[in-house]
Amino acid sequence: MPSLGTWLAAFFTLCMLSFLYKDNPFFRLAESFFAGLSLGYYIGIVMNQTLKPNLVLPLIQDFHANWNLVFAAGLGVILYFRYVKRVAWVSRWALAVYVGYYVGVNMMQKLHGEVIPQIGNTMLSLRYSGVDTLSNLVMVVGVLAVLIYFYFSAEHKGVVGGVSRIGIWFLMISFGAAFGYTVMGRVSLLIGRMVFLVNEWARPLIGSIT
Amino acid sequence: MNLERVMQVDRRIIYLFVAIGTILPIIFVIGLPVSITPPVQMAFDRIENELQTGDIVLMSFDYGPSSAPENAPMADAMLRHCFSKGIKVVVIALYPLGGLSEAVNELNKVTAEFPELKYGVDYVNLGYKDGAQAAMKKMAENIHEVFPTDVNGTPLDRLPIMKNIRTYRDMKLVVSLATGIIGEWWANLVNAQFGIPVIVGPTAVSAPKYYAYLEAKQMAGLLGGLKGASEYERLVVNRYPKLGEVYATPGLYTATKGMDVQSIVHLIMIAFIVLGNVVYFTTKRKPRKAS
Amino acid sequence: MKRQLPLLLTFLAGTIPIVAFFVPERHVGLVSTTLDSWLIIVAGFALLLGVVNVIQMNANKIHRRSSGWPYAIVLLLSLAIMGFFGFAGAFDMFGGIATRPDGSSTPFDWLYKFAFLPLQGTMFALLAFFMASASYRAFRARNVEATILLIAALLVMFGRIPFGEMVSKWFPLATEWIMGKPNMAAQRGIMIGAALGAASMALRIILGIERSYLGIGKGE
Repeated sequence: MPSLGTWLAAFFTLCMLSFLYKDNPFFRLAESFFAGLSLGYYIGIVMNQTLKPNLVLPLIQDFHANWNLVFAAGLGVILYFRYVKRVAWVSRWALAVYVGYYVGVNMMQKLHGEVIPQIGNTMLSLRYSGVDTLSNLVMVVGVLAVLIYFYFSAEHKGVVGGVSRIGIWFLMISFGAAFGYTVMGRVSLLIGRMVFLVNEWARPLIGSIT
Repeated sequence: MNLERVMQVDRRIIYLFVAIGTILPIIFVIGLPVSITPPVQMAFDRIENELQTGDIVLMSFDYGPSSAPENAPMADAMLRHCFSKGIKVVVIALYPLGGLSEAVNELNKVTAEFPELKYGVDYVNLGYKDGAQAAMKKMAENIHEVFPTDVNGTPLDRLPIMKNIRTYRDMKLVVSLATGIIGEWWANLVNAQFGIPVIVGPTAVSAPKYYAYLEAKQMAGLLGGLKGASEYERLVVNRYPKLGEVYATPGLYTATKGMDVQSIVHLIMIAFIVLGNVVYFTTKRKPRKAS
Repeated sequence: MKRQLPLLLTFLAGTIPIVAFFVPERHVGLVSTTLDSWLIIVAGFALLLGVVNVIQMNANKIHRRSSGWPYAIVLLLSLAIMGFFGFAGAFDMFGGIATRPDGSSTPFDWLYKFAFLPLQGTMFALLAFFMASASYRAFRARNVEATILLIAALLVMFGRIPFGEMVSKWFPLATEWIMGKPNMAAQRGIMIGAALGAASMALRIILGIERSYLGIGKGE
């Protein structure tokens, strides 16, 4: 006989799947339960895995060495000032640091970690040396054509228009491949749930009845 | 038969085909063979040929239940590979919605198959951390400050494996099992700025983009979705036949078995797309009757 | 103070990681890595901000008896249950939030395995059905571009499954070539364009030209 947990998991799985027939109260119930659990999950991981080991314990155990973390806690707390009308504007300070930091990190990530290596790796030899030359040509033409397609400062006519059309073809191949992969991904998730229903719920259930 | 009516078939009929196509191969396993692609072979070779017994791998669980059927078999296969070869594994999680629990449960499952391994000596779970990019950057300076304790609150200085691990320089490789964008950050932030080789196992949905990182050598290997996971399973079973017994466990969900189901459902979807186009072209040529 | 200080803070917080990247000097590195430590904590606080928002919204819904208010009770109840075990876990009650040393589940982990995981997993699994139905109705070879898209999709779908490999070894080879060459080239083009766009937006934010995220207009 399946365990209580397996019954609960099967019930929730079937509630969600019932949406395929039509919207119904079981689906809405499961959906609301899921949203609540997600937020409750955040409370658990943030309190237990970040705030406790990285803020509370260092301050309690060795305040002298970790006093600077008080500023981090302060920034975190003033994020919540937005809910108090009179001092809501103070929450902008924390938001400014939060957004500023991630934008700065992201800028270096994009320029140093994407633009430079990707452009560098597109500078390929086109001198004929066999099949590899064809692949190199496809890559160089593909990257340039797609970039030209996204370049809107010149009208897409004549040579620019022709090259940007090739860019569209490359994009279509990529979107088609992405579609195929997306199907594969979504089907994998379905397989995961069906394997649970068949192997962990239905089989033990049938086994216990027969 | 009126072809236009074929196009107006109730969506639930299509759903039924997909459901049956999924359930039947789960009950009756077909056992179709899986061929190996270069990105997965690269990932396998990196661990098999370039790492030695005792080397450290950082494995980041950057996914949750929304992609677990794809990412979990990758994690299992790579953990089994590392443990079979005597490589030590430091596990972390950076994905908020389930990364921690996936890391805990998958690690428990695989380590139960290797009773000789000792927690804190051969592997460790440092748990989850917020602010993924900030944590990744800080780890280049001091991992102990990012993860002062392991997942259960044990201070790192009580875990022998962590004594000689301070930064990325003390580890040989990062493996990220990723949904969404975190896997990219391992390539365009950690590999780009700190140089440690990175292998990513992304979901199939994001795999096409990762080919650009792989081609630019910002990644040392790529496992794209369930297919990538099934290839890795085959590679580890071929190299370590003992693992074949684990993968043959009845009722155990594996990517290889999943690919059987994938085959049938893909064929059903291809058939529907082709049928839709046949009807489209047939009805387009016929002049429409005035209603 | 209300307008200029946030802009100055954004500038400083944004410039520190950039300067630290270019200047390998100890003190600069120290400032940058201290900021990294802070932001791990601030990100934790920010994640919980959403929880407060949702509680506020659903409490209002119940108070006003808006349509579907009983579901708001379910949401708050499940949030309270999971949140309670998570919060208590931080004080080492119930064995924490992972698993106990003997491998048994803590209440938090049990709720994850038997409620959260099946709910989220199935929510995303539904998309497989919707994709099948949508592609049957809308995936047509209407013109050259759509035909290229269709052929690439069918080839990849067929070449990536074991059945395709059994029909001919050329299917997986052709699929891998599509993924590794033309697909890669297009993805690279998109990546370079998007990265340049993101970097210029980052610069606008750091320099205070773009300030809508703070809720203040350009003239303010």
